Amino acid sequence: MILLKMAMRQLLSYKKRSFVTLLLSTFSTAIFIFLNALSDGSHNQIIRSSIEVYPGYMQITNRKFSDEPNFENLIFDVQRVKKSLKNIKEIEKYTVRFETFALYSTNEHSIGGMFNAIEPESEAQISRLKNSLVSGEYLNAEDTNALYIGVELAKRLNLKVGDNLSFISSAADYSFAADNLIVKGLFKTKLYEFDNSAAFVNKSYFDTLMQSENIATHIVLMPRDIKEVDALTQIVQQAIDKDLEVQSYKTLLEDLILAMEVDEIFGYITLAIFFIVIFFVIAIFAYLSVYSRIRQIGVLRAIGTSTKQIVAMLLIEASILGFISVAIGGAGGAYTSHYYEKNPIEFSSLSDVNVEEYAKQYNMVADATLPAEYNPQKIAIEMLIMFVLNLLTVIYPILMINKFTPTEAIRYV
Amino acid sequence: MKILFLSLVVVVKLLAFSADEIIKKVEHNIQSESGYYEVTMTVTTSRGDRTMKMQSWNRGNEKSFIKILYPKKDRGITFLKIDTTMWQYVPKIEKTIKIPSSMMMQSWMGSDFTNDDMTKESSIVKDYDAFVSSEDEKIYILTLIPKEDAAVVWGKIVMEVQKQNFIPLKAIYYDEDDIEQRTLFYSNVQLHGTHYLPTTMTLQSATKKQNKTVVSIEQIQFDIEINDARFRKSALKRYSR
Repeated sequence: MILLKMAMRQLLSYKKRSFVTLLLSTFSTAIFIFLNALSDGSHNQIIRSSIEVYPGYMQITNRKFSDEPNFENLIFDVQRVKKSLKNIKEIEKYTVRFETFALYSTNEHSIGGMFNAIEPESEAQISRLKNSLVSGEYLNAEDTNALYIGVELAKRLNLKVGDNLSFISSAADYSFAADNLIVKGLFKTKLYEFDNSAAFVNKSYFDTLMQSENIATHIVLMPRDIKEVDALTQIVQQAIDKDLEVQSYKTLLEDLILAMEVDEIFGYITLAIFFIVIFFVIAIFAYLSVYSRIRQIGVLRAIGTSTKQIVAMLLIEASILGFISVAIGGAGGAYTSHYYEKNPIEFSSLSDVNVEEYAKQYNMVADATLPAEYNPQKIAIEMLIMFVLNLLTVIYPILMINKFTPTEAIRYV
Repeated sequence: MKILFLSLVVVVKLLAFSADEIIKKVEHNIQSESGYYEVTMTVTTSRGDRTMKMQSWNRGNEKSFIKILYPKKDRGITFLKIDTTMWQYVPKIEKTIKIPSSMMMQSWMGSDFTNDDMTKESSIVKDYDAFVSSEDEKIYILTLIPKEDAAVVWGKIVMEVQKQNFIPLKAIYYDEDDIEQRTLFYSNVQLHGTHYLPTTMTLQSATKKQNKTVVSIEQIQFDIEINDARFRKSALKRYSR
């Protein structure tokens, strides 16, 4: 208790020095927490957007489909797979898709593009297709000859809602398929390549034209708990036929996730450099603070205070400063992270960078916001790291002054 | 004796055909100034067979017109090829569509042939440098390498030609990485005038072993009069019925 009192008295006696150390430590704690939250938030947003725009968290396909995406390698009994999926409680929803290519033709243009069939209602609950509507209407289960088309593809074909076009394609049995379509709605997902090449029709209409009854290229699953996607992948794999495979977004978007991880590492390196600078500034302050008290420590040693008690007193001082600064800095960092999670930073207002051009170049969703991620558990760990670092800053000066004998310390100038 | 031997070598060399001459003779056998064909095409995949019947008219290598007769749901679909451009008329949608260059590698009517095959089959002399890579008593083996500025998809074609009548036996197609992609086998040779024509062609994919497309010429008339109107865009709809 007496050591605590002595430590407090020391901190209060040198208010200016204590305040500067406190300020530095508080500032670096807040910055550390906020920058990490911003980095995690933006990476998660890019990955989440890429998943939710269309691919989904989990996909079932024919095992050979990813290497050879042709009509030999389809899911040939969709009902059987659906029956298996119904028994798996961890799956919240699923939807069936048939993806192929078609030549779209208007009176002026003929352009090749993705020609995809979806179950409109279940698709709306899994991907952002319905929410990406910008003009006209989304599809419904009764639609025939209605096309839901990406804005960029529509632009290339010079189409607007209500316009007519035709398509020609190969049906699932390789026979010839063609029909006239009417544009029902336009969508913009902000994923340029997708908006530039994809169009959708109702699957029940598609099946009559493309001989694809009970056949699909993909069944897309939404897990109840996204964090359990790896375990669910194994459960689903055991439930479906061996010629089918289920892949999670971690495999489907492997390159993007890897790119984000690399970017995260570079972010940590930048943060580490900033951090080292701050750490040494605090360390120098701690060093000067301890060394300026060598004579005082010599007197304390001379009147019988043990080395251990001196070390304890100095550590208590550092702990008090560390605790206060980490508490204030942590609260500040947590509040800022929480605020910017709810109100993401508008990227376009901060920079002249053309977000759409940038996203187009890297085939990412063109989102001009930069959200933080508020994660209390992670913030608590970061606060603990900062507290430990605060203590580490006084270790070296303590070790140094303990080398002095009481007489040397008293005579130290 | 030495002079006699050397003379014999020179005579043999003079009698030997160059690769270009062989290709021209092969093309004489399989092409005509003008012609009419009735063709059956059977596409085999792991999921079964599908048969199509069609009529085809051609004038030289540059112009051809195809009309699908069977199956019923595809009846009346017509194709017009002029040089390397291809149009298609689909009665169901009442529309004539020009096949864009980006779709040239897509399958033609679900077969193993591509749209590109239908338009560029005849440009071997123009697009490829040919040389005789080997020969025996009965067969020439020709290697065709694309010319530098040729807009072709194959990296190499190796063709076997029967020496006696310059009948093509098979052609192996390689991609730009020299990997075998498919083989076209020629069989059932019939003599029509001066043309030794293989009336069955079987296209076998190297990557999808279970897939093949067999084209059988059921009826043929060489060197006939064909109205110019047959090779106009308006013919696509007009002759669709």
